[in-house]
Amino acid sequence: MIKLNPKLSQKLSYTVLFMATMLAIIPVLVIIFLIIKNGASSISWEFLTSMPRNGMRAGGILPAIVGTFSIVLCAIIITLPIGVCAAIYLNEYAKDNLLTRIIKLAIVNLAGVPSVVYGLFGLGIFVMFLELGVSIIAGALTLSIMELPVIITTARSALNSVPQSFREASLSLGVSRWQTIRYVVLPNALPGILTGAILSIARISGETAPILFTAAVFYVPNLPSSIFDQVMTLPYHLYIVSTQIPNMPKNIIYGTALVLMMMVLTMSFVAIFARVYFRKHRKW
Amino acid sequence: MVDKIQVKNLSCYYNKKCVLDSLTINVVKNEILSVIGPANSGKTTFLRTLNRMSDLEVSFKRTGDVFLNEENIFYMNMEFLRKRVSMLFAMPIPLPMSIYNNITYAPKRLELVNKKSDMDILVEQSLKDASLWNDVKDRLHTSAMKMSGGQQQRLCIARILAINPEVILFDEPCSGLDPISTAKVEESMLELKRKYTILLVTNNVKQASRVSDRTAFFLMGKLIEVDKTEKLFISPKEKQTEDYITGRFG
Repeated sequence: MIKLNPKLSQKLSYTVLFMATMLAIIPVLVIIFLIIKNGASSISWEFLTSMPRNGMRAGGILPAIVGTFSIVLCAIIITLPIGVCAAIYLNEYAKDNLLTRIIKLAIVNLAGVPSVVYGLFGLGIFVMFLELGVSIIAGALTLSIMELPVIITTARSALNSVPQSFREASLSLGVSRWQTIRYVVLPNALPGILTGAILSIARISGETAPILFTAAVFYVPNLPSSIFDQVMTLPYHLYIVSTQIPNMPKNIIYGTALVLMMMVLTMSFVAIFARVYFRKHRKW
Repeated sequence: MVDKIQVKNLSCYYNKKCVLDSLTINVVKNEILSVIGPANSGKTTFLRTLNRMSDLEVSFKRTGDVFLNEENIFYMNMEFLRKRVSMLFAMPIPLPMSIYNNITYAPKRLELVNKKSDMDILVEQSLKDASLWNDVKDRLHTSAMKMSGGQQQRLCIARILAINPEVILFDEPCSGLDPISTAKVEESMLELKRKYTILLVTNNVKQASRVSDRTAFFLMGKLIEVDKTEKLFISPKEKQTEDYITGRFG
């Protein structure tokens, strides 16, 4: 073994640790830089608000934006109430028995299933068995099942962050368990639940595989008019314009990527700011 | 002398470890019974069993009976029991809402009051009874979390008075308070005795001698001695009691 003097080993380890941190940040910065550099030129009001033209080589990406928004909105409307209810049950009511442990194990495992498997599951159950067809609702249901474990986990940690003493104080006054949850626990857990929901929205708006077979299509000439319509979506549209269409102008590919990235980043920032705001204004 | 609470052969266990061993004791109506004893003597467990707060814990088991007005509390509805036997904790726990809402919180949920005018009266009366009204009457709608520790503890007392219980359990209510706040809480306890039956668990032997009518001494989960406070402090029957109150251990 070579023995280094303490000063040198300190310097060396600092450098290694610092470089490792830099390596984590650099790809993110490069991605953002590249996408903005190549895509910024195509961003215009027209690009955001018009239909694609000329085999998608010109025009805008409005249907993809609308499609992504409607799927994500439907998914979160479905998954949030169910997830929060499940989190309340697990956190406030469930006794520590075999059933509870199995449920918790299932939730952890559900979060580890590859997203393309959810896509196939959605295709089998929602599109074919329930005959919803390739539609917004089928995609939203698939995404909501995929997002359920994440929502449950974040909602549980939000409920956990409400001090146990508040529950005891409320119960000791003869207030029932449900009323304690409704009037003390939930109002104070709400900020945490909402930030979790925003992050979930950000996450699922970029998902491609689950909606590949359940909601997204190559091209639709009209904007969706009901939840049973097929739609174009941003991630899938990005895949199509980058691989399936010859002679695709590069700035449209990067422009689409930029729009998708901005959507996700904006929501992440909203969640971060909301978290900071609520932490500052926390009542205890 | 009417017995408000009768405890018969009550044993309590946490994770099968016995923390309270076949306790039999009674609490007389409108008295202050204080419970003293060193740490781990089962005082707090005793208190938390009386309004069944300990029943919420998974590892808790108990045998024996407790009667409130000759009615077995273990067959009662838990919420209804806690409305009748309410508890003040060691640390003041105001709920994260305004002073006004802290008081009206439980009465609203229990549907004791409905009209706004009744609530105003209830808030004023409860705060006056807890001698807090003059401190806070101009800022009823500010957050209760911004009050001082002593004020918070009196707010918690006011909150209990608002649901008009029969028995109030005080679990070391002054352990986090300065001497002046302690004096105020003790003063209100003596005031409250007229209407309510009070159980006081305390680590402060002097406090027990100042406020209580009778004192019980617990040691290692067993009731060693219970007697009139002056009698227990002047001529205790048991050697262990004497050792504890004279400060030889604990």
